[in-house]
Amino acid sequence: MLTIESISFSYGKRSALSAISAEAGAGRVVALVGRNGSGKSTLLRLIAGLANPNGGAITWRNTALCRLDAILRARQVAYVAQRPGLAIDLTVSQVIELGRFAAQRRDDGALRLSRAIKTLGLESLSERSFHQLSAGEQQRCVVARALVQSDASGLLALDEPFSNLDPGETMRVVDALRERAREGALVVIAMHDLSLVDRVADCVWWLERGTMVGMGAPEEILTPTRLREVFGCEFTRGAQGLTLGGRVA
Amino acid sequence: MSRRQVIGIVVLAVLLLVGGIVRMLIGRDPNDGGFEFQSPDTSIAWLRFGAVKSALVAGACLGLSGLLLQALLRNPLASPFILGLSAGAGLGSTIATWAITASSAGAIGWLSVAIRSADGVLPGTVGSLAVLIVVYALGRRGGRLDPLTLVLSGTVVATICGALTLLVQSLMPPASRGESWMWFMGQVPELPRADSLWIAVVLLILSFVAGIRNGVALDVASTSDEEAESLGVSLKRLRVGLFVLAGALAAASVALCGPIAFVGFVAPHLSRLLLGARHRALVPASMIAGAAILVWSDAVRQSIDVGSGRLPIGVLTALIGGPVFLLVMRSRRMRSGEWTC
Repeated sequence: MLTIESISFSYGKRSALSAISAEAGAGRVVALVGRNGSGKSTLLRLIAGLANPNGGAITWRNTALCRLDAILRARQVAYVAQRPGLAIDLTVSQVIELGRFAAQRRDDGALRLSRAIKTLGLESLSERSFHQLSAGEQQRCVVARALVQSDASGLLALDEPFSNLDPGETMRVVDALRERAREGALVVIAMHDLSLVDRVADCVWWLERGTMVGMGAPEEILTPTRLREVFGCEFTRGAQGLTLGGRVA
Repeated sequence: MSRRQVIGIVVLAVLLLVGGIVRMLIGRDPNDGGFEFQSPDTSIAWLRFGAVKSALVAGACLGLSGLLLQALLRNPLASPFILGLSAGAGLGSTIATWAITASSAGAIGWLSVAIRSADGVLPGTVGSLAVLIVVYALGRRGGRLDPLTLVLSGTVVATICGALTLLVQSLMPPASRGESWMWFMGQVPELPRADSLWIAVVLLILSFVAGIRNGVALDVASTSDEEAESLGVSLKRLRVGLFVLAGALAAASVALCGPIAFVGFVAPHLSRLLLGARHRALVPASMIAGAAILVWSDAVRQSIDVGSGRLPIGVLTALIGGPVFLLVMRSRRMRSGEWTC
């Protein structure tokens, strides 16, 4: 269980998050939504234990991840950054293999690696240089690394993993993350594409100016009326989920 | 280790071995001072072996120091010379020498004891680490390390350290000033000081073990800070430990041979070209490559007479390393900001 209790966080004097509380259990996919600068990425970094909240506490299975040693934390939570970085020239399979750095068991590394490569459709790219890939291919590569890193019952925190993907590859990543949640993991995704939320998430956390303004099932929280008020755009909800219309005049 | 890595290390080792043999056979003709290529008698062979030992150890120190700096700073342009670590080590050692001179007149006796016991490596390490801290702080723009700002900061700080070194040298008696001038040009001594050599060897062994143990962590650390931390690398611990070793290695090479340009820059790049980018294999490869470059440079230097004497070794390494540095800086990835080691 991930528990967030009244946390606050600020960059210097600028408050980024305040009085945020939430809970999510294993086996679920949570979508963090909100406008640009609403605090999604900051909350995701705090959930992944990469920064300390100024107040309150975040625990995963009753442990404060930010207090753990990096290697112990990496065994429990995998994080996918918005913009992956790599300063050396490694192949795709070498980059994915880095996900096993903190692993206790090394014997199943090759199996995990080949499974993640297959799941994300990277077979034909596995020996290519990471730097020769398109932004979308790089993104799939770091999602594969997170799948290799995290256990079936672990916590996955992903910052905009679909932002550079074409529709086919988006659905491939969605399926992979849903499958990992079915295996028992908790998946938290910061995302902008609201038409995807219904397909990928069981639960939505809506942030506005660093505070939680909505929490619940996608169809309850992301209503066309509310979305129109916040984003100034028309949305319609059908059997396939939300569809974006034009800007409101 | 992969087949490519084994072949790469063997190639570098052969290069080093052949360089060592060539250096043992090349010498000066005692009659006209010119270049000769023949098997020497025992006493001459011992002197040449001393030069090979000095070049081998100092080159290995520079190669490994350069690799650690490039990996930790995620900057292919980094090296102990370019970032000013060698100049900082030189300044530290010069101040130590000046302090010893001053203390003999009874000024600061307690300091000279401490300095003498460490044979210049300790003040050199302090100097190089102080420079590293300053350059690291100056090299940040918008909270991130900018590769070119880092290099520019290193160049400026190195110039300031060079000026301060000259200032301190001018305070010294003429006799010790003369020795310092020779050292300042970079030289591979045929009779290296045993304590300098042993300190460098011990540091090399320590750094080699630390480098191998942290080889995969260095691969992980080449991702962004957040990614590296989330993959399980404690960056603070890794950086502090390996920066200290990189600074100490630079200081040990300076104590042995003076500041020598570009060996610490070229050796990791040559190793990557042959072995790929995995750090566990690059640690021994960069040490061997650094040693091979310096041994070969010393051999070539021995064979070039510039009229007023042999070519200073720093001139040769700069003539080789400078163009390589410009090539890396002008590379497509470096220009597009997607620079890689």
